[in-house]
Amino acid sequence: MTLSVPLLAELRGIVGAPRVHDADGDLVAYSRDATPLFTHAPDAVVFPADTAEVAAVLAWATRHRVPVVPRGAGSNLCAATVPLRGGVVLVLTRLDRILEVSADELLARVQPGVTAAALADAAAARGLLWAPDPGSRTVATVGGTIATCAGGLRGLKYGVTRNHVLGLEAVLPTGEVIRTGGRLWKDVAGYDLTRLLTGSEGTLAVLTEATVALLPAPESGNTGVAYFRTLADAGAAVAAVIRAGVLPATLEFLDRACIDAVEDFAHLGLRADAGGLLLFGDDGPPDLVARHLDRIGTACVDAGAIEVTTARAVAQAEALLAARRCTLPALSRRGGVTILEDATVPRPRIADMVDRIEAIAARHDVRIATFGHAGDGNLHPTCVLDSTEDTDEVRRAEAAFADIFAAALDLGGTITGEHGVGAAKLPFLGARLGADHLALLRRIKAAFDPAGILNPGKLGS
Amino acid sequence: MTGDVFHPEQLSRCISCGFCLPACPTYALTGDEASSPRGRITLMRALQDGVLPPDDATLAEQASSCLGCRACEPVCPAGVEYGSLLEQWRVHQWRGRRRPVPARLLMLVAERRRLLRLLGLLRRAAAGASPSAEVPTSAPSADGAPRAAGVQLLLGCFERGLFPAVSRAAQVLDPALTAPAAQGCCGALHAHNGDLAGGERMAHRLGAELPGTIVTTSGGCAAHLAAVLGRDRVRELSQWLTGRAPAGELRVDGRRARVTLQDSCHLRNGLGVYAEPRALLRSVAHYVELPSAATCCGAAGTYSLLRPRESRRILAAKIDEIEAAGVDYVVTVNPGCLRQLRTGLRRRRSTVRAVHLAELLVRVTSPSG
Repeated sequence: MTLSVPLLAELRGIVGAPRVHDADGDLVAYSRDATPLFTHAPDAVVFPADTAEVAAVLAWATRHRVPVVPRGAGSNLCAATVPLRGGVVLVLTRLDRILEVSADELLARVQPGVTAAALADAAAARGLLWAPDPGSRTVATVGGTIATCAGGLRGLKYGVTRNHVLGLEAVLPTGEVIRTGGRLWKDVAGYDLTRLLTGSEGTLAVLTEATVALLPAPESGNTGVAYFRTLADAGAAVAAVIRAGVLPATLEFLDRACIDAVEDFAHLGLRADAGGLLLFGDDGPPDLVARHLDRIGTACVDAGAIEVTTARAVAQAEALLAARRCTLPALSRRGGVTILEDATVPRPRIADMVDRIEAIAARHDVRIATFGHAGDGNLHPTCVLDSTEDTDEVRRAEAAFADIFAAALDLGGTITGEHGVGAAKLPFLGARLGADHLALLRRIKAAFDPAGILNPGKLGS
Repeated sequence: MTGDVFHPEQLSRCISCGFCLPACPTYALTGDEASSPRGRITLMRALQDGVLPPDDATLAEQASSCLGCRACEPVCPAGVEYGSLLEQWRVHQWRGRRRPVPARLLMLVAERRRLLRLLGLLRRAAAGASPSAEVPTSAPSADGAPRAAGVQLLLGCFERGLFPAVSRAAQVLDPALTAPAAQGCCGALHAHNGDLAGGERMAHRLGAELPGTIVTTSGGCAAHLAAVLGRDRVRELSQWLTGRAPAGELRVDGRRARVTLQDSCHLRNGLGVYAEPRALLRSVAHYVELPSAATCCGAAGTYSLLRPRESRRILAAKIDEIEAAGVDYVVTVNPGCLRQLRTGLRRRRSTVRAVHLAELLVRVTSPSG
């Protein structure tokens, strides 16, 4: 669709002409996010400054049946912010204030455009912890983190974003502003819309403010690395670590290809002869952390680790975690296109899943590197292609991923652990949820968005 | 289909993860994806694939509004060579008469070797006649000192005209540095302003004129020369002087001077050199790190001339920081930054002085003296 001159004039009347971009090049810049293979230009890009402007834009969109795609930093990996049906991309990064950090109440109130790292820093300055820790934390906005219920490197001990959101201010597609939850840890008045909106991927409402729970910051933290002969060995060690009676803050794994890619970028001196590694970490009082790391290390050795080392300084531990967060982009040093998935299985089935991924890669003749949050059973098998021009290779990669999803479901898992459904995984959602469940999602979507203008063609469609 | 503006393999490196966004000064200014490194690469792809016409207005605006500071490179896990892509982009955008006039004029001047020499001589004469000459006249004479074979000082086109005291100071610091008067411009100016082939040609010619190791007082020249001639041919001054800071300390009002460093973007982001100048400064003064030391000051080669409004906005924030740091000197390792900071500090009537690293080091007084 294209927006008529009077419609654009109305839009400019709402947010001011400089905050509506519709030059061809500006539209191209907002035609994609961090997801490969999905591109579509919007008809306008709008930068609202406050909740009232968001509400006015949405009411306008419902009135004129114009699709609206809310967007933070555009770092999601499920094409949730690609405007597949044109319309308006609603960029929320101007709403970027931290409104409050309360050490007494252990909470913060923030606007959606604040980055996850900025919130974490503001919390840390008051001796507090914002636990959600997605790999893209320096880029990703809190609004996007909540909208996708992002996970990250601390999921095993601290849970994911949904465990840390207390309340939301959200604008419905029809223009009404609602507030869910609030500053209360206990509040069962009504359906839990806070949880419904967390992970709703911008299909039900536009988030304009969040009240989030903070924790007292742990006194210290440390990280260690265990090397294994194969990635499956590393996967099998995860169960051993949990059996040892420790719930590590971080338990990540990388295969050979990922170790090489990370080493190329970060130069940490990782072993070049291991088939897989486990990156483990914990936080808390120093003596407890040391004891836990020791116990994890022992469990890894018992499970067949060829070497276990712990970081000698805070900087080294930070470097290890930072490098792990960069695994995906670092992998693109192996080829220009990286298609990654997010299949998740029950923790004891990780080694099985690793074996199945290797078999699937061989069957479809594609290069698949695997890393992920082993402690959460959350794998990121990543297909590395030289370019998207080899359409046969792209097709083989897509076929391989269809098999990977089927394998995950077969093992009692899911098609996406933390990246979201968006447009990328919508075709597989029925296999995970079933027809009745899908139909209910559509009815919920229609209750929020009767005109179907909010992020159409994604979750709930 | 334009097709051949960019090396396809360089363009395909970017996976649009967006890790570069927080590092980009122009994205910080606008909050607009189109003026972020990731957005600009999306635009480059649209140009390469013919999605946007060659004369699209956003393409022109974004190729011009980019500082070219390359702050996006060290934070890019995928290893995208953004600086190189920008050079290729500007070859297209600023082809023929589309190149901005101030850039064209500067490039013409940089190509006129006799003119450069004359400008340098004039500035030098003016500085020598003035009582506020930047270099102490008691500087030890270089005469009789053994000359290292094949190590030569690049005078720099821009620096020769505006800051001839810098290269003189460098020669005081290391009398073994020879500086042949017959030397041209390195071509960085050309490479960054849409004449990549010319920029490479000039670097090769300079490489022939100054055989052996080339020492330069300009981070921008160092990065360009290293890219064309290879890293082993080039040393920026702080690299060259590593471990050889003058003995003694710099004092102000009877105490150890407080100094800070503004990084040269291309030296830091292109060559990874940032520890070296800091180590030298720490050995002679009390060093204070600016929060944004690694971020562009807005000089960015010709940027301060071509985009004065954006340049001044970026500079204003930088000057605020410098003033808040409570320092006596802000030190630069690139003549463009020196000019920019001096302008900004003067406008603010600041008491902080901007100097080149070489000028600061020659002011160090020995403990005995």
